[in-house]
Amino acid sequence: MALVQQTQLQREAGARNGARRLTGSPALRVVGRRLLAAVPVLVGVTFLTFSVMSALPNDTAQAVLGLNASPAAVAALNHTLGLDQPFWQRYWHWLVNVLHGNFGTTVQGASVNHELAVHVPTTLGLLLYALVVSVALAVIVASLAARRPNGIADRISLAVSMLGLSTAPYVFAFLLIIVFAVKLSWFPVLSGPVTGPGSFFENLTLPACSIGFGLFAIYTRLLRADMVEQMQREDYIVTAKAKGVPPWRVLLRHALRNSVFNLITVIGLNLGGLVGAAAIIETIFQVQGIGNDLLTGISNHDAPLVEGITLVFALVTVLGNLLADLAYAVLDPRIRYGSSNS
Amino acid sequence: MAVPTPDALLATAAAPPLPSLVSTRRLRSQRIGRALRLWVPAGILLLLLAICFVLPLAVTMPSSTSGDIIYNNEAPFSPGHLLGTNVQGVDIFSQLVYGGQVAFEVAFSVTAIGMVIGVTLGVAAGYFGGWVDGVLSRLLDILIAFPALVLALVIAEGLGPSEVHVIWALSVFAVPAFGRISRGATTTVRGLPYVTAARLSGTRSWRIIGRHILPNIMPGIVTFSLLGVGVVIILEGALDFLGYGIPLPEASWGSMIAQGQQILTAQPEYVLIPSIVLLITVVALNTLGDALRERWGVQ
Repeated sequence: MALVQQTQLQREAGARNGARRLTGSPALRVVGRRLLAAVPVLVGVTFLTFSVMSALPNDTAQAVLGLNASPAAVAALNHTLGLDQPFWQRYWHWLVNVLHGNFGTTVQGASVNHELAVHVPTTLGLLLYALVVSVALAVIVASLAARRPNGIADRISLAVSMLGLSTAPYVFAFLLIIVFAVKLSWFPVLSGPVTGPGSFFENLTLPACSIGFGLFAIYTRLLRADMVEQMQREDYIVTAKAKGVPPWRVLLRHALRNSVFNLITVIGLNLGGLVGAAAIIETIFQVQGIGNDLLTGISNHDAPLVEGITLVFALVTVLGNLLADLAYAVLDPRIRYGSSNS
Repeated sequence: MAVPTPDALLATAAAPPLPSLVSTRRLRSQRIGRALRLWVPAGILLLLLAICFVLPLAVTMPSSTSGDIIYNNEAPFSPGHLLGTNVQGVDIFSQLVYGGQVAFEVAFSVTAIGMVIGVTLGVAAGYFGGWVDGVLSRLLDILIAFPALVLALVIAEGLGPSEVHVIWALSVFAVPAFGRISRGATTTVRGLPYVTAARLSGTRSWRIIGRHILPNIMPGIVTFSLLGVGVVIILEGALDFLGYGIPLPEASWGSMIAQGQQILTAQPEYVLIPSIVLLITVVALNTLGDALRERWGVQ
């Protein structure tokens, strides 16, 4: 997968060989291409969400007004919410509004824009926290493990990452609550609102650990396997060893540096899957983020809210993949300097 | 020995040092280690499957859906209740067994659906390339960027929770994953000399796919599907946990965890027991997947 992408990038870079170009231009080309390719994906995602939400029984107005509401009042509310229009018309309206930066109103009458503006930063902060910590730990643990395959550090890291891979995040969350919130009282059981850096770490550390453990396991396994393979197979490793580079330096400067590329791709691909984790973990800890909103939105049949949140998550996924490609282009000198070394 | 035995295959797949340079004892211990890594998780899984599907046929078990409130909160190993009873007096072991049935049924069905549809799409995209690849890959991209949890929850919300709906909902996760994996594997295999040779000798496409592509990508798909079964079991638990999975009072591991959550601080064992069973199951699946991957030399 990574290799395919890489050769594709190389070909792109190679196609422009001849003219002198700026160092950044291949990366810019990649950005342009990826952004264009993202448009049909985003439209597809919104369309899918829209159809799925429309398939729900159309009882939103009845639910809002209560069971005793008169049919006339229900019809009137349906009209104001635009629910009496045909499907295509509603979708088109929504799409045009979104392109103008208006996500509509929730069934309770609040603005979705406001809801998103308040809750998106919390969720993004939570996910970023989980990602950064798990990647940092994975790099350290995988390097220790790859230094001596089948050594003691390697075996421990394999066992821990197998555990992380097999633990359901919601189960791990309860374990963390029992130990760190109930027994040790280091953190609150339910997260309060995030107001500053202090409350960020206080409220989001346990949720971030619940999400991050699984990620850490995936990243560690991947990075370790990749580094071990590089240490055994690649010529430049042999060269580095032969010219007397100390083992640690070979591992970090040569093997790790090259393995990080594959890791970046996987991180980008995994971003979409984080939505589910965020939704479940945010519900357990009562974090005021969009994952939590997503679940309330679905149980309230709140189409505008769910559509807005899905679009945000799809955007994050697409942008994450783009960033991964970009990091690839910037970090890999073969692509950075645009040379086609095939 | 005309037919290579599995062990001979193993030796070729293992690390390169010449046999003469490695002591026999070390080789034997490596072989035993490899066999254990395969058969221990396989044995655990078979045992779990037997407990879930065969045991209820062999012995009469207490009901997994209703219990006698008089006998609630019984300790483990109390008479008639191997793991005790919960707050409503329902036998915990029965709940685990019937919840396990549901978990395995859902996981195997979802993986089968995902494999059939995903591999078909992925192989078609990878083999034919061109506009077929373009359309199918975009479709898979959309499914990957679309939070499948939303679809799963909406299906449960709209159609009402049931085992069949859970299966359909979770298949949405499985199809793009299998599609992407098999597309990647197909593009690799398609470029190999034997496929070119087959094509040059005029073999039809469907025959090349059936005879050359599928057999060669299958090891990777099967090991991936074992990991997939584990993921589906976790996701099924998540849906139950959120109240969108198997409807109560029918037992499921996820709903057991959710019910235990309410008395988490007082009696954590109601969360811990199903969690540990869930963990053992998924660890067994993952280690089995790893062992097969090692044995078949799949990346």
